[in-house]
Amino acid sequence: MKTPNKSRFLLAGLTASALLFAACGGGGSSSIIDSGSTEAPAAGDSSAPTAAPTTVATPLASLPPCDTTALDAVTETIDITFWHGMNGDLEDSLTALTDEYNASQTKVKVSLENQGGYEQTLDKYLQSSQDSRPEMVQAPEYAVQVMGDTDSNVPVGACLESAAYDTSDFLPKALNQYFTEGVQWSMPFNVSDPVLYYNKKVFEAAGLDPNKPPTNMAELRTMSQAIVDSGAAGYGLSLDTGADSGGGWFLEQWFAKLGELFSDNDNGRLAPSTKVNFDSQVGTDLLTDLQSLVNDGLAYNVGDNASGQDALLKLADPDKAAAMTIATSAALGTVLTTVQGGLIPGITTDDIGVGPMPAPGDADAPGAIVGGASLWIVNHDDPAKTAASWDFISFLISAESQSTWAAATGYVPVRSSALEVGAIAEKYKTDPRFKVAYDQLLQAADTPASLGAILGPQREIRALSARAIATVLQGGDVAAALADAATQANALLSAYIAANQ
Amino acid sequence: MALDTAPKGWRSFARYSMLTIVALFILFPVYTTVIAALKPGNKVLDNPLVPDAFTLDVLKDAWTQGRLGRYLMNTTVVALIITSVQLVTSIASAYAFSFLKFPMKRLIFGIFLSTMLVPLEVTLVVNRRTIDSLGWLNSFQGLTIPFVATAFGTFLLRQVFMQIPPDLREAAQMDGLGHWGFMKEVAIPLVRPTLGALGLFSFLSSWNQYLWPSLITTEDDMNTLQTGLRLLASSDLDKPNLIMAGTIIAAVPILIVLVVFQKQLVRGLTAGAVKG
Amino acid sequence: MAIKTRRLRDIPLALAMLGPSLLVLLTFVLYPLGKAVWLGQQTCDVQGKNCKSVGWGQYTTVIKSDQFQHALWVTIKFALITVPIGLALGVGLAVLADKQLRGMRFFRTIFSSTIATSVAVASLMWLFLLQPSVGVLANLGWLRDIFPVIKEPGLLKDSGTALWSVGISSIWANLGFTFILVTAGLQSVPKEMHESAYVDGAGGWMRFTNITLPLISPTLLFTTVVLTSRAFQAYGEMDLLTNGGPIPQDSTTTVTYLIYGSSSIIKNNDGLQAAVAVLLFVILLALSALQFRGFGKRVHYGS
Repeated sequence: MKTPNKSRFLLAGLTASALLFAACGGGGSSSIIDSGSTEAPAAGDSSAPTAAPTTVATPLASLPPCDTTALDAVTETIDITFWHGMNGDLEDSLTALTDEYNASQTKVKVSLENQGGYEQTLDKYLQSSQDSRPEMVQAPEYAVQVMGDTDSNVPVGACLESAAYDTSDFLPKALNQYFTEGVQWSMPFNVSDPVLYYNKKVFEAAGLDPNKPPTNMAELRTMSQAIVDSGAAGYGLSLDTGADSGGGWFLEQWFAKLGELFSDNDNGRLAPSTKVNFDSQVGTDLLTDLQSLVNDGLAYNVGDNASGQDALLKLADPDKAAAMTIATSAALGTVLTTVQGGLIPGITTDDIGVGPMPAPGDADAPGAIVGGASLWIVNHDDPAKTAASWDFISFLISAESQSTWAAATGYVPVRSSALEVGAIAEKYKTDPRFKVAYDQLLQAADTPASLGAILGPQREIRALSARAIATVLQGGDVAAALADAATQANALLSAYIAANQ
Repeated sequence: MALDTAPKGWRSFARYSMLTIVALFILFPVYTTVIAALKPGNKVLDNPLVPDAFTLDVLKDAWTQGRLGRYLMNTTVVALIITSVQLVTSIASAYAFSFLKFPMKRLIFGIFLSTMLVPLEVTLVVNRRTIDSLGWLNSFQGLTIPFVATAFGTFLLRQVFMQIPPDLREAAQMDGLGHWGFMKEVAIPLVRPTLGALGLFSFLSSWNQYLWPSLITTEDDMNTLQTGLRLLASSDLDKPNLIMAGTIIAAVPILIVLVVFQKQLVRGLTAGAVKG
Repeated sequence: MAIKTRRLRDIPLALAMLGPSLLVLLTFVLYPLGKAVWLGQQTCDVQGKNCKSVGWGQYTTVIKSDQFQHALWVTIKFALITVPIGLALGVGLAVLADKQLRGMRFFRTIFSSTIATSVAVASLMWLFLLQPSVGVLANLGWLRDIFPVIKEPGLLKDSGTALWSVGISSIWANLGFTFILVTAGLQSVPKEMHESAYVDGAGGWMRFTNITLPLISPTLLFTTVVLTSRAFQAYGEMDLLTNGGPIPQDSTTTVTYLIYGSSSIIKNNDGLQAAVAVLLFVILLALSALQFRGFGKRVHYGS
């Protein structure tokens, strides 16, 4: 009995040692994603997208159809499930809207299922079989390529056509964010962009005008110096290196503001991107600037912001607070509620200021990329369900709903007609802080550069740039960090194209 | 060593001090959690060590807002199902390996044992697809069936069964007891303390499952306590007292179970479960 | 002749008693293992479909990759932190509390209590303690002055202290389990052994190492194997406390976190995930084998 067991274990031990020896056999650094591609596009290979790209437009007729009149013939209530990733107060507002919709008519009943966050919603959607998927899903702005590649959706554009829906009053940037290859894939619902939050009381104490926040990083530096020197606060700016904020999203934002392409093939909007551009001089200058802010004690790095709120919480730090931070406009509602609850001693909601996201360097470059998430209709080969989903979507993007939604959350209404009705009309008049994010999206013309990049492995590439920024903020070499991140990002891109196209 | 020949008082003092220090380490997180759970929102950040404010509202909010009542029920049902079925299947397979004669017994037992070495991570993604194709997402079957057989339980019970002297079996046969009778009258009663320990461990690990339930639930109604806690933590980060209240509500039931079944647990473990 | 029929006669019953377990284990343990091994040499699209073979070399690429080696190193470090300390603490406490003295029942209850905490509960309790902005420790002025790292950048965000902090919360959470097991093991040590050694003039420490330890060695082996396997599969702690640890050092990215973590770069590639998982399995296998052989030689099975 002993011998068979012994030899089995011995074999296991030898296997493990063999593995470890094989591991130590490779010198130099290698990335786990090298193994992704089946065929690396070789030079002169005609199947590789190395030639000048032509617009790959997908005709609507080849995609699942949408007949918005299919709902008329239905007599029984259609149940549709909507997977979303809204948390906390945002979830409460979404629930209120959904309840209003359900109560207003009897043909469609919507059930909300909170999956715990954008990541979890997307992951569960990707992992599920088509039958287990809901009728509608909310996918984050970085998932456009991925969702499109699942071939599992009815493009919202088909419904827009079927219903002859007028989108002329929509924010062009919001719609275009989800428009590639000639198709409107999904409908923007919760739109946000980064804004500058700042503590007006600290500005006053430092001798700065509390109504004039910095518009670019050069001004930010000067103001931070004044704040730190006067002792009004511990730091000028709190920075984070989260993939969805300071480490990834903001980098794309800064490139867009400068009108610089973040990746090739027109930011992935002409054809899928094959390489990134963030290791250019633009990127190097950006990161060098951030690094020097931290080195000079004017900015504080809160880390990778796993909670999503760390940078904001630094403003509430009882010991060495920061005076400003850049964060998503979607947090404004929560920030004001929390401040009202007394989180920052001595500060009332009036003392929180909101300004546009500062441009890089000393540039005058207003504008921002649309963030947030959009609504996707899932194809279940059921015209009634598709029409039902469209009905709910058209409710959510109506002027009234958008007005209510924006006023409660800090998200930006997707259409200008919403500004004239309901709660947001009041709010923008009485509290112009909520309007900063909206105005920011109207600035800068709609070019591929200003619309931001659409990448397949966008979340992973943001994780890579976040690592680079974290290295840099902890004193690492900027050029090396960026080059390393770019190499891995390009490997990810080619692996993605090989596996998904 | 000096400590041995030192006067009894010193030894006692040293013993009690060491025990107290570690006990404080164990209790400290519990202390801060309980204090936070009982404080209203605006007081939770000042004086985290001092209970200077008191309210039961936070616990109430965690229960209702956090839907912890529903999650508690789900978790209890899942844990009870897994535990009871695991006990049944373990007894059945352990008995088969111990007292039945059939071909390839050693091979099949080897297959059983090998499953003990496979970590959860390897099986998760494939199992999710299997459960999905069976239509068992968001169901109690999906949450329980993959775990109702345990090689560990089989192994443990077989150890104890093997210690039953063969003459006992022969005597029972002569008395006309078939397998079912032998199991009921002799085998199971002898193994009861181990069953208790096994049941408790099963209950505990089912109760504490984290990765699997989060993978296969997409409907909030089917969330378990652990995934519900995670939801609470990610959605109400600005309310640490709410999250702490949630953890207390999640920990209390299991604590009660353990206090009640403390004796069984220790008895079961001493009855030869962890001996060779 | 009679023996053969007897062997076959039990087959239907054996089928009935073993069948359900076998079915479940085959479907949900062995089949996924095989599938995962096969998947490890494939690359799939974002939905896990359209998998194409890239050859068994993918396993070698993964083994050689920086991310895997780093994650493996972090995992080993984590096990080296939590297992010896946890074991020593559990054994020490069990021995100290294993007396019918006043208050010992009280101590034993406290030390056992953490078995009631799940990964989520324990991690959240410790998150509340360790978080740099709103955490308990960070808001104690006098503590901050002695250990500034608690606040800047925070124990969970400093690459030097992050893994240790997660380790301490894990040791805390596992203490109940270790304590209960070792106490049970101690209670099966016959009192006469201690008494005879005492009469022989052996000191407390000698009694401990020469008598107690060998007699509870099966328990110790079992506990070590379980604690090690838990350490190697730790996920929830990293998920809730550090999200893989401060970047860019990825100080708390263990192998499991490399597969499933939210900041993982192989998340949308089923093939790579499977390859890493299978490698984890092989390593655990080898580790258990080593523990049983190395430790097992010294295990003393009853007298």
